[in-house]
Amino acid sequence: MIGRGWVRTVMKDLVRHWKHFAAAAVGIVLGVAALTFFLALSLQVRDLLLVQIFPADHLEVVPKSADINLFVLRLDLGRDTLDAAVLKDLAALDGVDAVYPKMRLTVPAVASGGSSIFGAGMQTEIVADGIDPQLVAEELKDAFHDVDTGSRGTPCSRGAQCGEDAYCDRAGGSGEGVCRPFVPVLVSPYVVELYNGAFRRAYNLPKLNPDALVGLTFEMTFGASTFRPAARAPIRERMRFVGVSDRAIPLGVTLPLGNVRHLNLVLDSPDAGERYHSAVIELRSKDAAPGVIDAVEAMGLEIRDRGARRAALAMAVIMVVLAIVGFVLIAVAAAHIMHVFYLVVMVRRREIGLLRAVGARRSDIRRLLMSEAAVVGIAAGLVGVAAGIAAGAIADVLAASRLPDFPFKPESFFDFSPWLLASVVALAVVACVLGALPPAIRAASGDPSEALAGR
Amino acid sequence: MIRLQNVRKRYPGAETDVLCGIDLTIDSHDFVSLVGRSGSGKTTLLNVIGGLDRAFEGEVRVAGHDLQALRDAEISDFRNLTVGFVFQAYHLLDHLTCRENVALAALFTRGESRRDASLVRSRADELLDAVGLQGAGARSPSTLSGGERQRIAIARALFNRPQILLCDEPTGNLDTETGREVVDLLSVLHREREMTIVAATHDEGIATAGVRVLHMRDGLLEVGDGSER
Repeated sequence: MIGRGWVRTVMKDLVRHWKHFAAAAVGIVLGVAALTFFLALSLQVRDLLLVQIFPADHLEVVPKSADINLFVLRLDLGRDTLDAAVLKDLAALDGVDAVYPKMRLTVPAVASGGSSIFGAGMQTEIVADGIDPQLVAEELKDAFHDVDTGSRGTPCSRGAQCGEDAYCDRAGGSGEGVCRPFVPVLVSPYVVELYNGAFRRAYNLPKLNPDALVGLTFEMTFGASTFRPAARAPIRERMRFVGVSDRAIPLGVTLPLGNVRHLNLVLDSPDAGERYHSAVIELRSKDAAPGVIDAVEAMGLEIRDRGARRAALAMAVIMVVLAIVGFVLIAVAAAHIMHVFYLVVMVRRREIGLLRAVGARRSDIRRLLMSEAAVVGIAAGLVGVAAGIAAGAIADVLAASRLPDFPFKPESFFDFSPWLLASVVALAVVACVLGALPPAIRAASGDPSEALAGR
Repeated sequence: MIRLQNVRKRYPGAETDVLCGIDLTIDSHDFVSLVGRSGSGKTTLLNVIGGLDRAFEGEVRVAGHDLQALRDAEISDFRNLTVGFVFQAYHLLDHLTCRENVALAALFTRGESRRDASLVRSRADELLDAVGLQGAGARSPSTLSGGERQRIAIARALFNRPQILLCDEPTGNLDTETGREVVDLLSVLHREREMTIVAATHDEGIATAGVRVLHMRDGLLEVGDGSER
């Protein structure tokens, strides 16, 4: 029953009733075109958001919080640090290229200096964290690196004797000193923005050029605080700005991880030098993000949201809504297909009776009609996809000529990926076959004599 | 070959039976003419014998098959292989060629040999030759005369070499001369191929061609020259 004769019969039936089938296919074509257009648009915009605007190739993993509010206090009952074992597990996840731990400074710190910019020395409590220098190696080269502040430096009487990366530390203020390295620090663009936008206005200070901050030095005293007396002897270091980076702590300063670890060990406890507060995961590819996120959450950890997830969620919602619109169009089209096939079956009632009379089984009749529906679905799906692509091309031309340039403006707003096109055509086929199923079942039922008599 | 026992049928909504307890036996190689007025039940009886209508009471055995007991696949194969139908209205498919019409049953025949396109084609051409329409294989039935169309329908009925040919008013739409040609063709088939033929008609030409003539009236068979009632 399957063979060239069968295919020829199906195709001849389609040609014979082409007007009916063309009318039936109009709805499918429109639905497929709309679905293709909307999904391709969503995919491209999603890619734009998650790849270019909110790069999703790095994820920051933090311990899962379990906060409980108790009057004015918030109790954190969850784990708030990551240990080496967790980092090892993260590095072993499929899709993860590298893991960069981050450690907060667990003792108070005071920063002082700035007279060269502000005219007078300033002093402020400040928070700090430490990151693996490899995390910013690409943007800062080797300007940001761990420095050995523990060993005794060479004697000096003035700074020039210590080279570019060190200063002459004369603890007493005069006489012989020792060369000690500057500790490189980073700040976040948010810090600069906060200073220029609000802080400087309140204190009538000059606006800062972030690029000009590079090379600025200031002093930090670790373990000291204006709020409480130090438990141990504070450590004083000379810091030097080496750049502005998104990887830096949003409010505070970021030091090399090794230096923060050393400070925590010496001023807090041995454990404090082994506990990390977060870790940045570098993904092998952006496509690995969903799987890695799931695996991280399965480990009882969280991903720190920096907008990418919200953007992804918003895009997912938009995609779902647009897909629902497309699905509804196709569902309506499938209902239309059903009505047309009922009409076709009625018109071909005697013919179907004849086929039964010469030996067609009920299943053959169903298969015949559903084969015809499948061919209609393939044809309508292909035409619909072509219409969707054409509509996308027109939209791109209009966008290029009518829309002003804006950041991240793409060359095309549509991602017509092969899997999307194949899926949409498959959906059209499924819709047509499902639509034709009830008429096919009805056509195959009853005795052939009734059909031959036109009853 | 064909045995009916107390076969009754009433169409939905009808007040009387269209078949009122038919008992009938037809042997192999018989040529039986069913004669009667319109509405006497001839077509219904043919449909019952051919498995086109299974909504009846009683027992029908054809070529060893109890038609009431067969499942859809089995009764379909029975119609495909055991019986051939010739209808008054021909029921040819004009969107297919004459050859494709003749070979229509091959679409639904199970088995590898039946799917061999060259075998199907040669069988169809052989039948077109047999009914005197050699060379018409590629033509559309719509280009043929009524008599030629009925010959195509007869060729179609013979495709799978059925044991039984059931003809429902095969000359009903034909003029006398063309009808005579069709009757002659059926006689040849009966004689040369030793087929069992049951033809419902009110055409005296066919009636006289039959070896047995059965008269139907109001759903009953009247005594002719056989044992039926």
